[in-house]
Amino acid sequence: MQTAIEILKPGLASTIQDAGRWGYQAFGVPVSGAVDDFSLQLANLLVGNSPEKAGIEFMLLGPAIKFHCPTFIAVTGGSCQPALNQKQIELNRAYQVTAGDVLTFKPMKQGRFGYLAVAGGVKTPAILASRSTTSRLQLGGLKGKLLADGDFLPLQPTYQLASLQWRHCDLPVQTPTKELQLRFIKGPQWASFSTAAQEMFCQQQFQISTQADRMGYRLSGSKLPIPANSMLSEGTVTGNVQITRSGQPIVLLADRQTAGGYPVIGTICAVDLPLLVQAGMKQRLRFQEISVADATKLLRQRIQFLQQLAATFQRQRYQLPIGPQQIAGQRIAQLFEA
Amino acid sequence: MKFKIVPIGEQALNIVFPEKIDVRENQLIHNLAASLKQQSHLGIVDLIPAYHTLTVNFDVGLTDFEQLSRQLETFIQAEKTTEITAASQRVVEIPVCYGGQYGPDLTAVAKFAELTPQQVIALHCQQPYYVYFLGFLPGFAYAGFVPDKIAMPRLQQPRLKLAAGSVGIAGKQTGMYPVASPGGWQIIGQTPLKLYDPTNPLPPYHAGDWLQFKAITAADFDQIQQASIAGKYQVKTYRLSETKGAN
Repeated sequence: MQTAIEILKPGLASTIQDAGRWGYQAFGVPVSGAVDDFSLQLANLLVGNSPEKAGIEFMLLGPAIKFHCPTFIAVTGGSCQPALNQKQIELNRAYQVTAGDVLTFKPMKQGRFGYLAVAGGVKTPAILASRSTTSRLQLGGLKGKLLADGDFLPLQPTYQLASLQWRHCDLPVQTPTKELQLRFIKGPQWASFSTAAQEMFCQQQFQISTQADRMGYRLSGSKLPIPANSMLSEGTVTGNVQITRSGQPIVLLADRQTAGGYPVIGTICAVDLPLLVQAGMKQRLRFQEISVADATKLLRQRIQFLQQLAATFQRQRYQLPIGPQQIAGQRIAQLFEA
Repeated sequence: MKFKIVPIGEQALNIVFPEKIDVRENQLIHNLAASLKQQSHLGIVDLIPAYHTLTVNFDVGLTDFEQLSRQLETFIQAEKTTEITAASQRVVEIPVCYGGQYGPDLTAVAKFAELTPQQVIALHCQQPYYVYFLGFLPGFAYAGFVPDKIAMPRLQQPRLKLAAGSVGIAGKQTGMYPVASPGGWQIIGQTPLKLYDPTNPLPPYHAGDWLQFKAITAADFDQIQQASIAGKYQVKTYRLSETKGAN
């Protein structure tokens, strides 16, 4: 039997993503990687992986997946209602699966992107040291494509995971909000915008438009006056808010081009970017400026949060219940419930 | 050289040199990028050189804007500017079949320049073009500059799909589309070279190289294309000092 997971139904825009293809932007190769990097990192930690391992990203509807070998899984991101063998399972919690188990999803109630991590990570071939998919360039993933039914993704069978019962994380539930607050740092072209444009950017309400994908989200709102002089193209960064010639913002995301010629008014804080990415169409939002030092502090707190979580799992391996007997218990309990 | 360092978020910064398109300044940027790549202790994860900027991505687990910009200031000031000679620069030859089905806009460019198509081809191949940087698509070169006479502006209405390898002119810029893509450049020819291969995505040239276009026949085109797809075509390269008329 092949040690793999089999895609029974592809879901929507399902791709293999990891922490991205870093180191080749000078050749024009986009970074890609999980568009909600935090959710993939969390999913990885839950199954005992280092945060940069490759998992499956999907949009609005997850794939149906059959496991052909034992492993451990965790689902994070949008509320995608995962079910293992038709029994609902929780988000942000590790589960053991065995050969023959089937994982399915329902359409997301909230959020846009979901993530599935498997112990050891998905082992499709790495290109330029990354397994991330950039589908418009047929790069990475499985032949550079969105996942399709009948695809087999190789993985390493895993039989044990320390402190399985403790591997969960209670994240604050993201409830729908009338207006999302996104913190940003002034961008490299901030000063070339007029005071009026700067004030409009900080004060007016924007809305996520229908043009939103892994490359970027276009926002709509009152048009900003644009700088009179055009600029020379320069490198782009994920979270950049470019103002196009029409005066509307585009937020650049994982699949962004490496260089761009639109002025960047600001860059959304790394910790707030997943909030934008997971927000639905027509979500209203407002920008709020913070300092580089504060944004750095926030991002470091997030890194620490994940490191502490991983350390907690390490410590809990010595707490009862220990080891596989508990997994057997979990299985037996399921039998009685059924 | 004058420069300033500005943040672009909490995980990236820009080293900004005087805003101009200048071969010498740009070469210094590529040299700086190459030496920074060796400084693994700085916490740098990637570098994006462009015309007059060097974008630096860094890991906030290892450093931050304050610390890295201080270190970069010192590093750049201490950096010895090595003389960039014609002998140290590489020229990459790009075979191009001009006109006809390969270059639907060649006649329009000839009309714009008030020249014959043959003269346009001769002008386009007359000198190597410097690659300031790569972006937009893997291997897409921001290169220039063509003689004023053939510097025709972009199409009013971009084409929805250009073939991979299309060679075009957009004002003073010239270059080729490594993958099939929409585009507004005046397409004067096509190279048979496979410039983008998803299993080996790095192009046969890099920023700081020079591109020398060479006119070939349709028969050559087919032959080189087959060899290139089979991975058997050896791209010709030589030193800039071996060419005539480089800046």
